[in-house]
Amino acid sequence: MSPPKSSDHGPAPAIVCRGVGKRFYYYEHRTESLRELFRRSIMRRPIHIRRPEFALTGLELSIAQGESVVLLGRNGSGKSTTLRLMAGVYEPSEGVVETHGSLTAVIELGAGFQPELTGEENVELYGAILGLSRIHLKARFEEILRFADLGDFITTPVKYYSSGMKARLAFAVAVCVRPDVLLLDEVLAVGDFEFQQRCVERLGTFHSDGGTLVVVSHDLPLVRQLCSRGVWIDRGRIVMDGPVDAVADAYLAGVAEGG
Amino acid sequence: MRDRRIMHSSRQRWSITEVWRYRGLLRTMVVWGLKVKYQRSILGFLWTLLNPLLMVATLTAVFGYIVRIQMHDYWAFLLSGYFAWNSITLSLFAGTYILAEHGSLRRSISFPSEILVFSAAISRLVEFAIETVLLIVVLAVAHHHGVPSGLLVTPLLFVPLLLLTAGLMLPIATVSVFFRDTQHILPVVLTALFYLTPVFYRVDMVPHALQPWYAVNPFALLLVQFHTALYDGRVPSLAMFSRTMAVATVAFVVGYALFNRYKNVAAEVV
Repeated sequence: MSPPKSSDHGPAPAIVCRGVGKRFYYYEHRTESLRELFRRSIMRRPIHIRRPEFALTGLELSIAQGESVVLLGRNGSGKSTTLRLMAGVYEPSEGVVETHGSLTAVIELGAGFQPELTGEENVELYGAILGLSRIHLKARFEEILRFADLGDFITTPVKYYSSGMKARLAFAVAVCVRPDVLLLDEVLAVGDFEFQQRCVERLGTFHSDGGTLVVVSHDLPLVRQLCSRGVWIDRGRIVMDGPVDAVADAYLAGVAEGG
Repeated sequence: MRDRRIMHSSRQRWSITEVWRYRGLLRTMVVWGLKVKYQRSILGFLWTLLNPLLMVATLTAVFGYIVRIQMHDYWAFLLSGYFAWNSITLSLFAGTYILAEHGSLRRSISFPSEILVFSAAISRLVEFAIETVLLIVVLAVAHHHGVPSGLLVTPLLFVPLLLLTAGLMLPIATVSVFFRDTQHILPVVLTALFYLTPVFYRVDMVPHALQPWYAVNPFALLLVQFHTALYDGRVPSLAMFSRTMAVATVAFVVGYALFNRYKNVAAEVV
């Protein structure tokens, strides 16, 4: 995996957010049926009553290739929104998000899993969805199954899996796709301690191979092991950006103060 | 997906090139969609045939014996048009739920969401192609007692059929995201359209004053050609085919433009 280079100044950053803002609408009334739409249009009443809310404003963030970053923050602070913007699932309302290199995001557990298919079949399907070619998939199949460690359950339909099992399967495939950039949204929380340690190990290999990692997590001890840099987002803005221990400590202190 | 991606704010990426980049994903979805549906069983496909066959039998009984439309081998006439209509209907219905069904995928992975609509349209077309092959065989044996050229030309009609269907599925999918009752209103609209489209009757049975109106109905253009090819055994006229292609292309372009206009907003609806 050779990192893409920009024309002169050395390797391009893996992810750049410049002046990024994300606006959502808070609806006081939302017309959800065609019949109501018709009625309201005839009666000249407003179709939606809504106001904009900025989940993120003025986000400036640059993540270099090979960095491992954690996004910290209270629920609703905008950290998941940031991750989704990086993943391309959301489009920014303002500003620019740039990513360089192949990117794999695990945001919702089992997104793309077909409940009726077995674990093995879902590995094939999910791998294909994530852009893994047939050849690579065959070569890495054993590796994926070994990491997921589901034993005989690999041949049962995924609808019978616990969320921990789904997490292991999704994570195994995502990591074995060997993307340049890996984004994880609180999926590690679902597994047990043993799985989390295996993830830390596997992500360590990912890191030493030069991969870039961005995670959203509430598990501070875990992310201290996993990441070198922390970004604290509060109410849609970056409050602190630095070495993970410093940021995690500050975040904890901030939470303790009820701020 | 291994190349540099730059996303700009609020800019509509010209989608057709994006779709080409994600063609692997499209292929995966079509193949796996069909695999999941037919889960190692041919019986599954036979069930898919059951519904339209029952309808054709019912229509033959009602319009052939009760209402008594005079036509040689009326059952063959119905077969030649009804499966196309059925295919269109199923595709348009799929448009109402395809985006919701893959909600978690859309929230997790960045890809052009029209791929979902196209995969549903193509999957349906694959099923329709198999049905058409069976129809050709049945009609050749039991109605034509031979293989007239019209039968062999029928697959060409798949092109305008796919364009028209996809072109309508796209805005239907968009509207369905914002308005939940689309899936309830569509059946009503399609039922009315069934009677206004020459599926179980020929246009020349319609009072002369009304006949020109049928040209406005793009489904009518298609159905007439399916009848010509499969029931009459003749090759449809180039003029009519060109017109159908033109209408289907316009429908596709307009439908796609509408879809793209609201694509980003639709992505964020819960």
